[in-house]
Amino acid sequence: MLLPDQMLFAALITISLAGAMLAVLLDRRRACLTVPYAAAALSSAIALILSLSVLLGLGDFTLALPTYISRLGAFSLHIDRLSAFFLLVASIVTMCVSIYSMGYLREYRGRYSMGRMGFLFNIFVLSLYMVLTAGNAVLFLVAWEVMSVSSYLLVMYEWRREDSVSSGLLYLVMTHLGTALISTAFVLMWTQTGSFDFSSFAGIREMETTSGTMRSAMFLLLLIGFGTKAGLVPMHVWLPKAHPAAPTNMSALMSAVMVKTAVFMMIRCCFGFLGVTEVWWGLLVLLIASISALVGVLYAVAETDIKRILAYSTVENMGIIFIGLGAAMVFQASAAGDPMANPYLGDIAALALVASLFHVMSHAMFKSLLFMGAGAVVGASHTRNIEEMGGLGRKMRYTGVLFFIGALSISAIPPLNGFVGEWMMFQSLLLSQTISDPMVNILIPAAVAALALAGAIAAACFVRLYGAVFLARPRSEHAEAAKEAPRPMLAGMYVLGALCVLTGVLATLIIPVVDSVSASMLGTSIASRMVNGLTLITPAGDFSYMSPLAVAVMFLLLLPLVYLVANRLGGSQPTVREDTWDCGTPLGPRNEYSATAHSQPLTRLFGQTVRVKVEVAETPSSSPLVPARMSFRREVEPVFERYLYDPVSRAAISLSKRISVIQMGSIQAYLAYIFVTLLALLVVFR
Amino acid sequence: MNLIDSLAAVFLLLAILSVASGRVISLVRLFSLQSVVLGLIAAAVAAMTDAEHIYVVAALTIVLKGVVMPWGLRYVIDKIGVKKDVEPIVPLPASLLICAVLTVLSFYIVQPFVTGHEVLGTITKNCLPISLAVVFIGFFMMIARKKALTQVIGLLLMENGLFLAAYAVAYGMPLVVELGVFFDILVAALIMGVLAFRINRTFDSVDTTILRRLHD
Repeated sequence: MLLPDQMLFAALITISLAGAMLAVLLDRRRACLTVPYAAAALSSAIALILSLSVLLGLGDFTLALPTYISRLGAFSLHIDRLSAFFLLVASIVTMCVSIYSMGYLREYRGRYSMGRMGFLFNIFVLSLYMVLTAGNAVLFLVAWEVMSVSSYLLVMYEWRREDSVSSGLLYLVMTHLGTALISTAFVLMWTQTGSFDFSSFAGIREMETTSGTMRSAMFLLLLIGFGTKAGLVPMHVWLPKAHPAAPTNMSALMSAVMVKTAVFMMIRCCFGFLGVTEVWWGLLVLLIASISALVGVLYAVAETDIKRILAYSTVENMGIIFIGLGAAMVFQASAAGDPMANPYLGDIAALALVASLFHVMSHAMFKSLLFMGAGAVVGASHTRNIEEMGGLGRKMRYTGVLFFIGALSISAIPPLNGFVGEWMMFQSLLLSQTISDPMVNILIPAAVAALALAGAIAAACFVRLYGAVFLARPRSEHAEAAKEAPRPMLAGMYVLGALCVLTGVLATLIIPVVDSVSASMLGTSIASRMVNGLTLITPAGDFSYMSPLAVAVMFLLLLPLVYLVANRLGGSQPTVREDTWDCGTPLGPRNEYSATAHSQPLTRLFGQTVRVKVEVAETPSSSPLVPARMSFRREVEPVFERYLYDPVSRAAISLSKRISVIQMGSIQAYLAYIFVTLLALLVVFR
Repeated sequence: MNLIDSLAAVFLLLAILSVASGRVISLVRLFSLQSVVLGLIAAAVAAMTDAEHIYVVAALTIVLKGVVMPWGLRYVIDKIGVKKDVEPIVPLPASLLICAVLTVLSFYIVQPFVTGHEVLGTITKNCLPISLAVVFIGFFMMIARKKALTQVIGLLLMENGLFLAAYAVAYGMPLVVELGVFFDILVAALIMGVLAFRINRTFDSVDTTILRRLHD
């Protein structure tokens, strides 16, 4: 007999599968634009209800699936607080993206198969929910593979475009590399416990027989494996290629939700299964994460493709999330190592984890909002190059406002949600000064600096992005002719835009819930000491406090005040509309301050990291002063591909070429190999 | 005892001769003769051990391998008009030398099994290395000759070697197993005949080195 919530979960699976099937059946009909996404939205609504019921304290939830091979353990779907939190985030975003898809996919109709999109979309969403709820390693890996493969097929959705196909292939290779490492780690865990159930993996924490080396090996495998999915440097190369290549609704889901599954599993495996005992684990995560945050944001600044900017910014934000995670690991390990040294360490670890989880939520919201906005902009202007946009703020008023909210949020402007997460992260890092380990004392301030620098550059990056896309005058005919996005697209964005503001302003209501999630992993609850009415306080002593709501109220009051004061003091000046002085040459959109120019100082400053190559070629004419033609080409050198991946792939290819000599295609030669091997073995082992 | 040993010697000799022969037809003939010798060995083993079912196997060996299969092979040869030469990859004198080395090697390999085991009869002592040598020679023939047909015969030689090993070590297998193996060989020979046919039709030759074109 199924309990009501189990029936709900069964309904979720059924609805998703039905949506997928219906999409195939409806393929060319008009309904294929709505029905599959309605199904996805409905299953997301169910996931939302389920996750809320767990988060609000109605107890964990388990749905046993039929298991045929007993040695693989019991297949079950299990929602505890951690998976409920991620499920909540995923389902909110997925629901909005599903609604958005109904409008967005219109432009693909007739060019690419609608049925395929609807089918894969539903399968992807279902596998995503399965990944977040799987209670067994084998079931998890199956769901993880389905998620990877369906998203790969969606990256390749526009198969007539060459870059989609090549990015898809890169993604497929990288994600399978990661899966191989994850599988190895799970098999290692299985050797310790003898079962593939996650519930038995949780016992590894207390197991005395598991050596420290073994734990570290598992940790490294998991870090590289999940780090690949999360897009941590240097395993990030696929992310800025694959995420933009997918249709935008998928880009939003991949960038906002799919990468978070890696965070989810890292938290689960490190705190839940392995138990954080070594300080260096956290330091390694911290180091990689800091580099990811900086590299991601620097490349985002140099890029001119709107979707790639957002994808690079995902690398940056994953870096920020992992900084919080790494800090939590460092503090937890230090606290476990010497509980007397600093009684606050447990609290700070919890604070770092809460910050990390909060940022997971914020990033999912604003990044999907931004991607959806980008999709609307790209759909209206028929280009992804921000140099050919401009002036869209007047043509697409609502999209512009929503994109602006997303940009404010990602730039961590108070009182939006991006700010709250980063504020908590700074607090936790700044409170760490009492640990005496020298490596910790070096790396944590470095992480603080990285976080601050990344935040500042991210703000610059989004000022540039918003300015180049929405402000000034249109720089191309398409941008000139742009129209507002259709209503379903706006509807999806409205919800997320509102949530970006609300989760920021009302953070004090959300943090206790997030805290209960982190407490279920760390065993330390800090909500009662952190939230005081509408104010956030750092848990360890009187360090600092902040109230997002107060900030919001102040903003609301001060902005009109500033306007009034300025008007009063400055007086009402008559507006004069005249052309600017243009040296006699009429100024057009081509003379505008371009996005590339805007990022020039930053790319020059960080020229060592982001290598921008500019080539200016002139065709001489009779006059030495005025060339007949000038051409300008700008290229960001793919440093990681060129200096890390290319040598490896070249070595692999030359090695396999050398080996392929033995494969000559002659039966006799193959027989001879067998014969010689046989003889040698017989003689040696006689 | 001596009878079995000498028959086994003839058996080995026939295998070496078939490597030395330059014509396909004589190869088939040698294989047929070798199978008859194998049948005789089986009969001798049966007489020695009083195992009646081995007589059946001996008769089957002589009929199937000594008569039916050579006849089938000859039929294939006539049908597709295989040229007479075996077309060796390794020249015949060198092949013979290698066969000698392989024989010595098989005696060397088997040595630890047969020395120090009082229980093992002389049949085992002499026949096991010979059977292994014949397996090697058959294998070598598959490698060193171009035609698909010579490869079929090489495989059949290996098979004969295995049979001898079975008699030498275990004094024959249960009848059911033997019958099964016979059936297997028959089917294999049939399939290989058909394949040789196909190869011939596709490439106008049964030279398997042409199959090299299939790679990449």
